[in-house]
Amino acid sequence: MNHLSSETFRENAKAALADTQLRGALKNATSLFGERRKQAAASLPNWEALRSQARAIKDEALSQLDRYLEEFVRNAESRGAKIHWARDSAEANAIICRLASDYNARVIVKSKSMTTEETHLNQALEAAGMQVVETDLGEYIIQLADEPPSHIIAPAIHKTRGQIAELFTAELGMPPTDDIGQLTGTARTTLRNRFATADLGISGVNFAIAETGTIVIIENEGNIRLTTSLPRVHIAVMGIEKVIPRFADLDVFLKLLPRSGTGQQLTTYQSFITGTKRNAADEGPDEVHILLLDNGRSRMLAHPVTRQSLACIRCGACLNACPVYQQVGGHAYGSVYPGPIGAVITPQLMGIQKTSQLPYASSLCGACREVCPVKIDIPRLLLHLRAEISPRKGSLAERLAFKFWAKVMTSPALYRMSAVAGRVVQRFVPISRAWTSGRDLRPIESKSFHELWTNE
Amino acid sequence: MSSEARQVILDSIRAHLAASPSYDVEPQIFADERESDPPASVNIGGLFKQNLESVAGHCIITTDATDVLRQIITDLGVQRIAVSDAPELAEFGVVPGANEIFSFDVGITTAQAAIAETGTVVLDSSCERNRLVSVVPPVHIAIVAASRICATLADALAILQSGKELSPAITFITGPSRTADIELTLTIGVHGPQELYVIIDESS
Repeated sequence: MNHLSSETFRENAKAALADTQLRGALKNATSLFGERRKQAAASLPNWEALRSQARAIKDEALSQLDRYLEEFVRNAESRGAKIHWARDSAEANAIICRLASDYNARVIVKSKSMTTEETHLNQALEAAGMQVVETDLGEYIIQLADEPPSHIIAPAIHKTRGQIAELFTAELGMPPTDDIGQLTGTARTTLRNRFATADLGISGVNFAIAETGTIVIIENEGNIRLTTSLPRVHIAVMGIEKVIPRFADLDVFLKLLPRSGTGQQLTTYQSFITGTKRNAADEGPDEVHILLLDNGRSRMLAHPVTRQSLACIRCGACLNACPVYQQVGGHAYGSVYPGPIGAVITPQLMGIQKTSQLPYASSLCGACREVCPVKIDIPRLLLHLRAEISPRKGSLAERLAFKFWAKVMTSPALYRMSAVAGRVVQRFVPISRAWTSGRDLRPIESKSFHELWTNE
Repeated sequence: MSSEARQVILDSIRAHLAASPSYDVEPQIFADERESDPPASVNIGGLFKQNLESVAGHCIITTDATDVLRQIITDLGVQRIAVSDAPELAEFGVVPGANEIFSFDVGITTAQAAIAETGTVVLDSSCERNRLVSVVPPVHIAIVAASRICATLADALAILQSGKELSPAITFITGPSRTADIELTLTIGVHGPQELYVIIDESS
């Protein structure tokens, strides 16, 4: 599997559109998640108020991010957690590799973390000679297949049970089957052995509470509970934007995130971890490390429009709602963050030169904004990024065309003539091939509204 | 290295916030949006049961929790039973040592609170050794006093925080372990328990 690049979104998308199996899987996943989200949102009478409230809390945290981060760090440290700061991916990976080597870690179990996907932590740990095992079922499948995730909350939705069975037979020696229960059972048994022998557990973080120094991680499978309870060391990796002010704020986010992601009222498990255990004889890891990653995030604070990107709680609702994602899937974006939110986050993280096609991977229909639980105005963000890509005036032909168009549109006589001329010209001249190659251009009606009105 | 990184990141946050066009956000109070408690006529034990059952958990409301627990164990026909170190559970099984946890059929714990609106049990690691017993064995049975059921998630969060520092590990559990990572097909019991029983003890 070659890992796709963001620089070639158009080619990636074309290839994805030709893959009928992928498109079937995407249709099922996005429509099912979308429908469940809709029902779950409707089950709360104050859904819209909750969205506004969540956004206000995120805005409050982001507008004083330095203060809330320091408060979080102070409280987490006072409870025994060890804090690490990393400016970029390389620094984050170096810190984690050093910790793993200090603890003589040979087997490392990981729970799903988009942030460590972003830093390519697994490759760094493997290069340092350590065995890393993803334990979320979807992540485990794509790790065996050596593929990146295709959806934020369902990383392996692009694979069929048949493909997964082949993979398990080849990699784990499982007898061939297409029974999903058996596939899941095989993963459970295999991963149990890894959990039993792992020296180190690495997790992500959904929310970090400034007031109490607590990290909150949510899931359905139970692998996060095992990752954060069994090994003697736990490292939690979080972007600096994950901090929220108060413990009570969780009420709003725990209502919004599961409903927006999978349509659940609440996911099966929430783990609230505050520092380390109090007594050596207690259960749980001896040490808890929390790594705070910037990697381009602090730059996004510099403008209210870009700052919104940091409010994202990684629910995946905008992916399911997006007519572009629904057709091309996650891999085409060439980034761990796909879909509408990926099209705005990836250019800001990786630099706009290498990702300049992504802000155009949208029809600006606004479906993403409608479903976003924290009301991120993604279309506005896309336009903001497009303006950064093309700040110049456009070509001479384009400027002349718009000048001509303005002239015609402001003169009734010219406008009437243009309708007549257009009906004739369209028969002979294929206009604007760049526009029409990917879209239908409807023929001009034989009578304009104006002419119909006059004749009636 | 880390202290230098810390300074650079915090400086960058401050510089970029300072450069930003104004976007003032006052801390807001949303008391009016918080859901009020359900009317007294709502049976919160019944609501808890309904919500837990909707996510494939089992719930038994009883005045004799010990008897119900014995019955469940008999019906399951299980041999190897792990319990937390809660004194009232000692007669039912053994408190597993560090390396034994993977060899049990059932894990039994108490729960320190429950949430009616979601069907959730709340396990506080500072009250008993519940972290592994509640997640590793294929069946988890939790006993919670009826008086510990809160109406809402917000109530449970407030109770956890009230008057004491937060426990090192708190776990919310709503139903058995589940996944839909293969073809979006719901599968119960991937890493955690395949079955969850919650016994609501109405005796006190």
